[in-house]
Amino acid sequence: MKKNLFYKIFFSYLVIISLSFLLLDLFLREEVEKNLTSQIETEMMSYAKIIDLSPREKVTEQIGEMANISNCRVTLIDARGKVFADSEKDVTQMENHSNRPEVQEARLKGSGISVRFSSSLNIDMLYVAVTIRNGEKINGYVRLARPLHDVQKVIQKMYESILGASAIAVIVSLLIALFISYRLAEPIRAMERFTEKLRQGEPVGAILLNTADETKKLADNINFLEELKDKIRIANEEKSKLMTALTSMTEGVLIINAQGLIEFVSPVLGDMLSVRYEDVFGKTLMEAFRSAELQKILTEFKRTGENITREITLDMAEAVILNVSVSAVHGYPQEDKTMIVFHDVTRLKKLEKVKEDFVANVTHEIRTPLTAIIGYLETIKNGAIGNIDETKKFVDIILNQAERLNRLVEDLLTLSHIELKELKFNFENVSINAAITNVISLVETKAKEKKITIHNNVRENFPMIRADKDKLTQIFVNILDNAVKFTPESGRITIVAKEADAYTAVSISDTGIGVPRDEIQRLGERFYRVDRSRSRDLGGTGLGLSIVKHLMIAHGGRMEIESELGRGTTVSLLFPLAKKEQNRVPL
Amino acid sequence: MEERRHTSLHYEMELQEIKNSLIYLGALTEKAIQLAMKSLTQRNTDLANQVIRDDDEIDKMDTEIEERCIKILALRQPAAIDLRFITTAIKITGHLERIGDMAVNIAEKAIQLNEEPQLKPYIDLPRMSGLVEEMIKNALDAMIKGDLQTAEKVRETEEAVDNLNEQIFRELLTFMMEDSKNIHRSLLVMHVSKNLERIADHAKGIADMVTYMVTGENVRHRPQN
Repeated sequence: MKKNLFYKIFFSYLVIISLSFLLLDLFLREEVEKNLTSQIETEMMSYAKIIDLSPREKVTEQIGEMANISNCRVTLIDARGKVFADSEKDVTQMENHSNRPEVQEARLKGSGISVRFSSSLNIDMLYVAVTIRNGEKINGYVRLARPLHDVQKVIQKMYESILGASAIAVIVSLLIALFISYRLAEPIRAMERFTEKLRQGEPVGAILLNTADETKKLADNINFLEELKDKIRIANEEKSKLMTALTSMTEGVLIINAQGLIEFVSPVLGDMLSVRYEDVFGKTLMEAFRSAELQKILTEFKRTGENITREITLDMAEAVILNVSVSAVHGYPQEDKTMIVFHDVTRLKKLEKVKEDFVANVTHEIRTPLTAIIGYLETIKNGAIGNIDETKKFVDIILNQAERLNRLVEDLLTLSHIELKELKFNFENVSINAAITNVISLVETKAKEKKITIHNNVRENFPMIRADKDKLTQIFVNILDNAVKFTPESGRITIVAKEADAYTAVSISDTGIGVPRDEIQRLGERFYRVDRSRSRDLGGTGLGLSIVKHLMIAHGGRMEIESELGRGTTVSLLFPLAKKEQNRVPL
Repeated sequence: MEERRHTSLHYEMELQEIKNSLIYLGALTEKAIQLAMKSLTQRNTDLANQVIRDDDEIDKMDTEIEERCIKILALRQPAAIDLRFITTAIKITGHLERIGDMAVNIAEKAIQLNEEPQLKPYIDLPRMSGLVEEMIKNALDAMIKGDLQTAEKVRETEEAVDNLNEQIFRELLTFMMEDSKNIHRSLLVMHVSKNLERIADHAKGIADMVTYMVTGENVRHRPQN
């Protein structure tokens, strides 16, 4: 970090220095060169003119001296271009100079300048020529030559000093860069360490910097971030608390946004109504649940703005009775959200109904035989007692009704004993075949009257089940008795047994009148009758299946009923497998 | 209709409201059939009276939906699928309203039947009404989701309902031939069956409209098979 910053600063200084150096070169070099050259030209021109003023002979004699003074090569040329004196070369060996550019220029203008590569010296040379005049007539030319690299030498010297200065600048900038990078990096690094800790969730206090520039502000902002993080953490905690509350409460919660679309469904509600979150999210209430009742409540809430609690029935996969409360969600200033809380009261309602039915049924069931008994006793008392035959008939009826009452009370007692777990069970290994054969002999007479055939398809060597022999007989009697009762003449009852995973299933099927599908569930309830008038005519107490259901539960098994109206009913008794039972309860 | 397609949120909400009202109306008619059938099978005249009372709301919803559709047609000049949706909605609401009326018919017959002893245990009628209720539910499902398969399923179920109607008709005929005292009740039951069959026709009509809404193809008068 620090190094990085240092390189960046240093590099930018370097770029600035090099750039200025380059610009210097670009603009200065040309200017300096031009200035120097023209200065030398003027100087040489002056010398040439001075030489021109001197008499020719004197010049010829003193040409060496002149060259020394002017620091130039001096050449004297006559009007025809012939060299007659030169400071460095032997004139006899020199060619005609009349066509040299500086000479030609001088002939026309009086003076001429030319920069050329000298073949005799192998370097760039600056040549200056002036005419030697005698009145209007040109007598000859004075030419001075000086090597151009003198100029280059001056420029080079100048560059050397500039380079030196630059080098010093680079060294200074290096130091400055070091200093600045250190000063800048220190607070930045402090903040970096701080934010790194923040990111990893380690506890951090606040950064304190003793600078007053932008980094100070940045540090302040980071300190604010730390506070913000705390706020976010608190908000998250609140949210998870709320979610836990929403998911763990037994009520289902649903939230609708201002557009009327569902935006939250608690998992409990999903289970309650067997809907999936994806299927209802973003839908309207009507689309999701298709319930006019529910929509009515929402509409009413929207209109009145008052919280509403009401009971509705939703026809989902199964009918669910719900206690629904609608209220507004506060805390969203721009959004009118609505919360609906669902409380599943299906079980409660069912229990309530069972209880109500029970009380009504018990009184009704007891009153019916009692009315008969009282009625006949009154008849006897009011004179029929004299007629022995009549009285005998009535007494028979009275006895019959009293027995029925007794049966009823006994059944009720059995039920309450089972439910209070006061009934003693004597579990042993029982052969299903033997138990059924025994029971069939009990109901056979009744079956024969209606020409019903009973088929016992259970093998003799079918594995034994663990059961209480007497209670098992009671179970089978109740079921077979029902089967015979509700099967029309020439019907057929079949008993089969098979072993499934964890259960031994004994199924008793008849070709009877059947039970409507939505009433099957209620068959185990006390006094529940599908067709009240008919079943009572057949002499039932309405408690048979209820007793079977509870006895099966006491056996650790259960009763299942399948039925189709007009086709028949199959009652399956599921007993836990005997072996497993033995393993579980070592005797 | 799944996501927002219109720049005007208001327009979008108007369409959504029509859709919602249609589902609402559908739920009302479904309930009406359920109650009417319950009043018949459970011999409960109170339920039948409730169906007759509740029909007012169905009629009101029908008018309301129609007015809303016409308003959108006039003000928004919908195009393509929106136009098809609006015209379909007008037709579907008509179908639903008629279904409501038929539920009332059934309820009225139930009241009369409940005054006399039961002719026979109802076995096929509840089965038929179960199918019919499922058809309406599916037809509305198809409309909400724009699902052609569900719409096709509705058309297939219609045949099963027709068959049941025939079967009930034959059965009642034998009852009437057996004893002339049965004729009045048999005719009433036949009315119920006929009404259920017509409800199934309307459900099929809704399914056809859904197919039209989604594809733009008119399948109403397509030859059988």
